[in-house]
Amino acid sequence: MSTSNAPTGVCPFSGATGPAETDPPAEPVAAPPISASPGTFAEAPVAGWVTIPDLYNDPFPIYQRMRAESPVHWVPAVNRYMVTSYAACHEIEQDEARFSADENNSLMKRAMGHSMLRKDNPKHQVDRDSYGSTLRPGTIKKHWNQIFASNHAKSLDALIAKGPGADFVWDYAAPYTAENLRLICGFHNATQEDLQRWSQSMIDGTGNYADDPEVWAKSAAASEEVNAAIDEMLPYLAANPDHSLLSGLASLPIPLEAIRANLKMTIGGGLNEPRDVLATTVWALLNHPEQLAAVKSDPKLHAVAFEESVRWVAPIGMYPRETTADVVLEGVHLPKGSRLGVVLGAANRDPRIFEDPESFNIFRPKKPHLGFGGGVHFCAGTWIARAQVAQIAMPALFERIPDLRLDPSSQSIDAGWVFRGLTKMPVTWG
Amino acid sequence: MPTITFAQSSGATTEITVAEGTSLMRAAVTNSVDGIVGECGGQGMCATCHVYVRPEFTDQLPELSDDEDEMLDCTTAERTDSSRLGCQIKMSPALMNIVVDVPADQV
Repeated sequence: MSTSNAPTGVCPFSGATGPAETDPPAEPVAAPPISASPGTFAEAPVAGWVTIPDLYNDPFPIYQRMRAESPVHWVPAVNRYMVTSYAACHEIEQDEARFSADENNSLMKRAMGHSMLRKDNPKHQVDRDSYGSTLRPGTIKKHWNQIFASNHAKSLDALIAKGPGADFVWDYAAPYTAENLRLICGFHNATQEDLQRWSQSMIDGTGNYADDPEVWAKSAAASEEVNAAIDEMLPYLAANPDHSLLSGLASLPIPLEAIRANLKMTIGGGLNEPRDVLATTVWALLNHPEQLAAVKSDPKLHAVAFEESVRWVAPIGMYPRETTADVVLEGVHLPKGSRLGVVLGAANRDPRIFEDPESFNIFRPKKPHLGFGGGVHFCAGTWIARAQVAQIAMPALFERIPDLRLDPSSQSIDAGWVFRGLTKMPVTWG
Repeated sequence: MPTITFAQSSGATTEITVAEGTSLMRAAVTNSVDGIVGECGGQGMCATCHVYVRPEFTDQLPELSDDEDEMLDCTTAERTDSSRLGCQIKMSPALMNIVVDVPADQV
């Protein structure tokens, strides 16, 4: 490096000022067999053996088999192509011209309205810019961190009051992240329990592939509640501005329809994800005592453990795209209008990129994972998640309950594939 | 057309010629230059296209915005007075033969 100047800033997340240590990169593993010679392409193999219950239970052995066969499969059970290699997922993220986010017949549009997550540029950028600086590192450092710390102390008090045997997800991680999201959005007229109910109801609608009328009814009811809450808050926040998203939106010429859809997307994407990363990271560390000991002795490793957790079990495991033309993706032909599932949960365990990818290992050589997505739809809440989980919650949790452990009398359960996390995680101490 | 030289910490260099208006990050990602990730596609949101601009070119660079400034505090490799985000540097005649050093780490 030709530069030798002293550091001029400190990252508000890791506190790091110097270059991080990394190991040499892993040797690449041989590419998988693709039955196409240069200039030709293959049709996607059909994975009729993949079932949704198997994916929900544990998708990772399925992804291993799929990646080894082809970067893309047609999966009848899911009614779309599933893209599982790192290279193919990365190519899609970087090319919104051929791989549109504006999916036809989108369940998310039906459940939440047409948010920025299902728009392409330039329309997407207008919505994205309307979120201003609320989610950016400067605002987090100056404003949100102290609020997160206060919310965290209350949530941890509640967990401790519940006593050994309490559930890490439902008695601590969920209320904590829901309360943070409530204030980030600006819902001073709702409770964190409302946020949890809204979020889950609309997420269930977004995933209602079975077209269950009861799921749609609950989702629609939650959507109406959010509309009413927004309608009430916008004039209040216009007169009493704060740092929240709704406060910023109250003074912008953004159509109400877009505000509603974007807030619903944020309620869906801003609660379960930090909740699940917090639980998955702590669960993984409690299962790997040597890594936990390292994190406790070096505070900078909280951020490393967080990133490894997002790689290992991406909280959003798959998101949709649609081809705008006939394309050849990593040697596989996809007709125009193909519905794709970009399987980040599989890409993040691609052995061509990550050595021993199935293991949780905070000491692995650092490589960019795809857990926050990439390109123009790169997760807008990335820095909020890093702050509330790795910077605020984890250090305080292990300091307050140094002997936290999984409850040996009651098994934890991890589940899901489009969204994956712990659904049950009893913990004990003392 | 402007030429960008990316110098790696290993000593290796890559020269890329691009159209005016192309960002330094996009030029690197399109041409698979090692060490430039560009996760967020150029929105100044991820701090993974961090570069050190050689001093002889700093006067020609666009002014540092508040958004870029706060993001540069979040780079993995150390921030110095030469640090910029590649996505915020658009190629222009003034930067015709710019040389930047690529940090050893972006994530």
